[in-house]
Amino acid sequence: MTAYAELQVTSNYSFLRGASHAHELALQAAVLGHKAIAITDRNTLAGAARMHVACKQHDIQLIVGARLDLRDGPSFLCFPTDRAAYGRLSQLLTLGKRRAEKGDCELFLDDILEGEIFAAGAGQVLVLIPPETLDSTFRETIFVIRNKIKNNIYLSVNYIYFGDDNPRISAISELAEETSLPLVATNDAHAHIAGRRILQDVLTCIREHCTIHEAGFRLYANGERHLKPGDEMARLFSAYPEAIENTVRIAEKCRFNLEELRYEYPVDPVPDGRTPQDELTRLSWEGAEIRYPDGVPEKVKGQIDYELKLIDELGYAPYFLTIHDIVRFARSREILCQGRGSAANSSVCYMLGITEVNPAEIDLLFERFVSTERDEPPDIDVDFEHERREEVIQYIYEKYGRHRAGLTATHITYRSKSAFREIGKVMGLTEDSIQALSSSVAWGKPTKDRRDPERIREVGLDPDDPTLQMVFELSEQIAGFPRHLSQHTGGFVITSSPLDTVVPIENAAMEDRTVIEWDKNDLDALGILKVDILALGMLTCVRKAFEFIEKHHGRKLTLANIPQGDEQTYDMLCEGDSVGVFQVESRAQMNMLPRLRPRTFYDLVIEVAIVRPGPIQGDMVHPYLRRRDGKEEVEYPKEELRAVLEKTMGVPLFQEQAMKIAIVAAGFTPSEADGLRRAMATFRRNGTLPLYRERFINGMIENGYTPDFSERCFKQIEGFSDYGFPESHAASFALLVYVSSWLKCHYPAAFAAALLNSQPMGFYKPAQIVRDARDHGVEVRPVDVNDSDWDCTLEMTLASPSTRWRSDEESRTAIRLGFRQIKGMREDAADAIVDARERGYAAVPDLKQRAGAQRGVLERLARADAFQSMGLDRRQALWAVKGLQDAPALSLFTDLPDHELRPEPAVALPEMHLGEQVADDYLALKMSLKAHPMELLRPCFDAEKQLRCEDLINVPVDSTVRLSGLVLIRQRPGSAKGVIFVTIEDETGVANLIVWPHRMDRYRRTVLGSHLLGVEGKLQREGIVTHVVADRLFDFSYRLGYLTSDEAPLPELMLGRNVPSHLPTMPNLRRMIPRSRDFQ
Amino acid sequence: MVTIITVHGGQRIASLNRAARQAGISAGQSLADARALYPALAVQQADPIADAKALNALARAAERYTPWVAIDPDGGLYRGGAGLWLDISGCAHLFGGEDALLDDLLTRCAHAGYQARAGLAGTPGAAWALARLETKETLAAILPPGIRASKRLSPLPLAGLRLEAGIVEGLERMGLRRIGEIYNLPRAPLVKRFGMEITRRLDQALGTQEESLSPRRPVPAYMTRRAFAEPIGRAEDIDAALVHLLDPLCDMLEKAGQGVRRLVFSLYRVDDTVARIVIGVSRPNRDPAHLHRLFREKLTEVDPGFGIEVAVLTAPLTNPLALKQPDISGQQSAKTKPVNELVDVLAGRLGPAAVNRLLPVASHLPERACRTAPVDSAPDKKQDWQKPVRQPPRPLQLLIQPLPIDVMAPVPDGPPVLFRWRRRQHKVSKAEGPERISPEWWHGDGRAPYTPPLSPDIRDYYRVEDDDGARFWVYREGLYRPDRLPAWYLHGFFA
Repeated sequence: MTAYAELQVTSNYSFLRGASHAHELALQAAVLGHKAIAITDRNTLAGAARMHVACKQHDIQLIVGARLDLRDGPSFLCFPTDRAAYGRLSQLLTLGKRRAEKGDCELFLDDILEGEIFAAGAGQVLVLIPPETLDSTFRETIFVIRNKIKNNIYLSVNYIYFGDDNPRISAISELAEETSLPLVATNDAHAHIAGRRILQDVLTCIREHCTIHEAGFRLYANGERHLKPGDEMARLFSAYPEAIENTVRIAEKCRFNLEELRYEYPVDPVPDGRTPQDELTRLSWEGAEIRYPDGVPEKVKGQIDYELKLIDELGYAPYFLTIHDIVRFARSREILCQGRGSAANSSVCYMLGITEVNPAEIDLLFERFVSTERDEPPDIDVDFEHERREEVIQYIYEKYGRHRAGLTATHITYRSKSAFREIGKVMGLTEDSIQALSSSVAWGKPTKDRRDPERIREVGLDPDDPTLQMVFELSEQIAGFPRHLSQHTGGFVITSSPLDTVVPIENAAMEDRTVIEWDKNDLDALGILKVDILALGMLTCVRKAFEFIEKHHGRKLTLANIPQGDEQTYDMLCEGDSVGVFQVESRAQMNMLPRLRPRTFYDLVIEVAIVRPGPIQGDMVHPYLRRRDGKEEVEYPKEELRAVLEKTMGVPLFQEQAMKIAIVAAGFTPSEADGLRRAMATFRRNGTLPLYRERFINGMIENGYTPDFSERCFKQIEGFSDYGFPESHAASFALLVYVSSWLKCHYPAAFAAALLNSQPMGFYKPAQIVRDARDHGVEVRPVDVNDSDWDCTLEMTLASPSTRWRSDEESRTAIRLGFRQIKGMREDAADAIVDARERGYAAVPDLKQRAGAQRGVLERLARADAFQSMGLDRRQALWAVKGLQDAPALSLFTDLPDHELRPEPAVALPEMHLGEQVADDYLALKMSLKAHPMELLRPCFDAEKQLRCEDLINVPVDSTVRLSGLVLIRQRPGSAKGVIFVTIEDETGVANLIVWPHRMDRYRRTVLGSHLLGVEGKLQREGIVTHVVADRLFDFSYRLGYLTSDEAPLPELMLGRNVPSHLPTMPNLRRMIPRSRDFQ
Repeated sequence: MVTIITVHGGQRIASLNRAARQAGISAGQSLADARALYPALAVQQADPIADAKALNALARAAERYTPWVAIDPDGGLYRGGAGLWLDISGCAHLFGGEDALLDDLLTRCAHAGYQARAGLAGTPGAAWALARLETKETLAAILPPGIRASKRLSPLPLAGLRLEAGIVEGLERMGLRRIGEIYNLPRAPLVKRFGMEITRRLDQALGTQEESLSPRRPVPAYMTRRAFAEPIGRAEDIDAALVHLLDPLCDMLEKAGQGVRRLVFSLYRVDDTVARIVIGVSRPNRDPAHLHRLFREKLTEVDPGFGIEVAVLTAPLTNPLALKQPDISGQQSAKTKPVNELVDVLAGRLGPAAVNRLLPVASHLPERACRTAPVDSAPDKKQDWQKPVRQPPRPLQLLIQPLPIDVMAPVPDGPPVLFRWRRRQHKVSKAEGPERISPEWWHGDGRAPYTPPLSPDIRDYYRVEDDDGARFWVYREGLYRPDRLPAWYLHGFFA
């Protein structure tokens, strides 16, 4: 067999050029018995890390490199021979990328020959790629290059069945002789096998924005650009054996391995010449004393010692110090932060104040975080307030410099739906059919369901159409291909040597941001440490609530000093009263709360983890609840699992438990279990999971477990692949659940105002937050030019009914809505109004004169009815605003106030009735404090004997009920097989509807299109949770038109009647009712 | 069913039928929303040009009632549909009164498949409002002379004043919804806030301000006509009449900067029958001699019957044709003229579809590298005359049907050494290749099949020269397989 190494390899990281994944290329090269394989994507190293991993797995040498495409010269393949040369290549690419737009790279011949960075190719092996037409310019260019670069430069030749390959090769060979450059053979591989030609053609079309029928010569004439066996290459180049031999020579020279990048972590300055480890030890014990003022428990002491020892062994101390420093910075700026994820398994992190999970309360699994066995760096994720995370990021840039700190990339890949759109376009499907299919096909489902002929026929297409079939086929092939780099939400890499010598850096879409080319998985694989600076809206909300409480109640709260174990807080949660609370506010969580009845912190940990795809798909929820309620005995499938499952009553709920079962019950080694975890978490669905499945289930059955239990355990593991929830992570979240619940319970006004000021976040819209606050006895006051700030504020009020958990003192605060609630209002305009307010505005023109408010701004304010303190209702205010002169026409009059210019005849406008007010409130504020639309329409519904939401509680189970309400949320949970959940709201509360698939087929339009939905169905109740199982549904949206019409709402006969045609349809209906939150 | 237009990159419903309206869909909605309501929605791209054409045709038909018909500039998308103005002053009695006229009009519209509504009033503005807003139940609304427009319009929504949607919305915000509600408002504050438009439209509707409408402009007709004192019948006379008609027509065209694409020569016989001769030309033309020649080919077919009283020459289809300065000899530039004229003559004799030209197609496959197109078809803008940067030479002559040949060649992909064609042996002295051309996989759906022996298989082409210096283009079909004899074909000649 002829020894050969393929040097010109384009992977799919040359976006829309390469048609194979790195792992496919590596595997194929190994199968063909190549000596080595290079990766030479165009002006990028983005795929290098993946290729490295794949080559290591298939045991073949990787030659790291890139293809340098120049703006003014020929292309080179560039292969660094050592770490320093690699650094220079990376810097060269960074230079080109920083010059260009995002995703592009601008390099010139001078950068290579003259530029200091590249040092004229020192340490690199360069391969010059001749252009398509060999002319004298190329010959001259070679001489120019030859003058600068003496060694290690080659000239490449291809044999790609062009017809003129032989004459061309001999021409190049003559050129090579003349310039004394050695020849090297390559096959310009764009794919690992010939079978990728079709995909390759389609990629070309996507790149060139044309259909396959228009593509013409933009496509290659044949599919010869793939990896070929050494013998075949030797046959093609039989006249030039040295061209083949040179590939091997180059492979021997380029021994640089990406593992050499393994990390020199930046060492923060440590006082008095102590080692980072000493410093870490000191800080840990100092922290421990603060955490445990009454003495550190023995168990914890042991844990700290153990962890410090391991950290020392692995040399991670500087990394911990870095994170500690970042957290310390945030604290000094009063930015709330909290570690999450596996870091919460470390007591050292707890002592350093990075995480808040007390090791005395929760059993930690430090090995999940750091282990000697798993050769990869620890991963510390820290959440910061979402509005202030930028400050932390800027601090990191400032401290380490942009040349040493950078954001990691996210490699955005084609998903089957996006792939379908693009390939459909290429294959000439009409925009219309593409749209129809992409909105009706179940993309998340397996292939079989996706091509469900019924669905395809439903949108009027022929499922057997070969073109359509091909589009589906190709979409599946292309799914998973990277399409561009984007920036990770907050993954930071910090290096001691300049970062651009480790990996190329490019401009991000956001101004002033740069992104490295590798993503999280790449960094993990290469053992490069990173820290995740994440944003969490709830932290912002909590901080704002703390500020309100300090300002109005003089109580200084922190995450650490909130009273623990508060009975009333748990009482509230047990009732499912959790609107706005972190994590447990979703409908499913709200239903779970009264069933789980949390009474301790650990209950909250379980609450957070249990409503997840893992436990639900594994069917673990009901057994757990039964055991908790004492309806079922706590038992263990086998005694050996007692230790694993004791805390959760014998039912596995957390990711770690599933792993432990794999080890204890299925006989996996810890590293195998970790492989399983990886298969389900990272490198999305690359198909390795089924391999583990058999082994897992057989292993368990062999060990004497029932097939049923084994099956369920594995199902659960599969569920975790959608969203894994380890115990430590759940515990970190549970802390915030408790804090936010406590705030909501005792300071509902401050909490609601803080929530409103932190929008957008969470599950609910401002209208529901306000409503919930009012339900808890909080007075909410309207936006007003004389009272509001941009943010919502608290005002003191004399008396307000003190509800169950509100203290008297707290109940003296009321919420004043801020200008931020007004649709389309700008913050600077609002600030100007606040700044110029002095003792208040007496008339509309004042605002224009003193605050310089534009007409548009004033109109928005008028529409939001924000002039009430002047005694103007919205119509009068709007009339006044409309009457303002746009700009003074003559300078003579500039000093005269607007309204003094000349008296205007008084105009009597029609009075606004309440319905109109409410409708306009909804239009401007997406809510109304005056009334609920349903309240005004109630006579209509009463006449039809419809119930109110609050009535449901008194209705016996299984009776048939009718009710109506505004649609708040439509959901189609993945775990619930086509069932739609709809939440509707009326003036008394909310009701939950369940629409089964067969009803959905019948009422699809009504369910999806209604703003005001009526339902007739059977009542179901589980604990205190009530559902209406929809039997018939009615679109009553037209009745909203009554709000603005002069007619009184007429009771019509509900069932089966058409919309009355005489009713003026409300033009703004769509805009009036805020879009429901659908299918998120 | 709905039609859609693309607005700001989003697809919106332009118009819809009753079934779609009943499904809850409305004009202006986005297609995605509409689909959510009714997934099996039938969708057509809106065609505003065709709509305008149809409206024009309708306007033409309405000229039976009055010569004074105008297309409503305020109708159209989202504004209550397209509309026509008919000024029927002094015409109604011809149809038995206003009621009968409207009745006839609406009946005819219904027969033609249109849903129409009509409003009749003393001012265009009032009629507009009545037609669009007062005709929900009945199809026609008439404001009789005795009744004041203000009374009738008062309860109608403000949209009836032909105001922009923004103004209507603004007024609605003030609680002003009906036309009557603004009659008595002080005008100055109203104008200050909503502009002059509102009072202008109000006055126009109530008749206190004149409104002028411009009727549809008639299409300029290029026509010449000649009546004969005595019926003519001899071929020479008809020919002479044609020449007399052609010259002035061509002058007219020259003044208008137009050239004919089609000419109709109509001969009215004494017995009220008509003989027509139609000619077409590939490019706009107004050269009487050339046009005359084209007619002469067909004049012999004319049967004069009992004699011809009147001859009319019309040009129903014309295109702009710039004036060209003749050269010093008085001739038009002669470069393309003979070809064009030859084309016209051929097309006249053989039918326009029979004359084609070849256009290049960007395809690696030689038999797909060109296509035929009607000779008078407009040049394709995207026409790509470029070849790939690197492509070996193509033969001067390409066989439509490749011919099977027997070849001796080294495996797997060596060039031929010897081949036999037409019972003659050719010894190959020089060869180049292979050039491997892959099939166009996207034709695999059977729509553009390969005509045998051309097959959807990879081909390796070789350029070969035999001992006599003749050069051939041959190919082997399919990749080499040890279990199969390769099939070879001759596909072209270089010299």
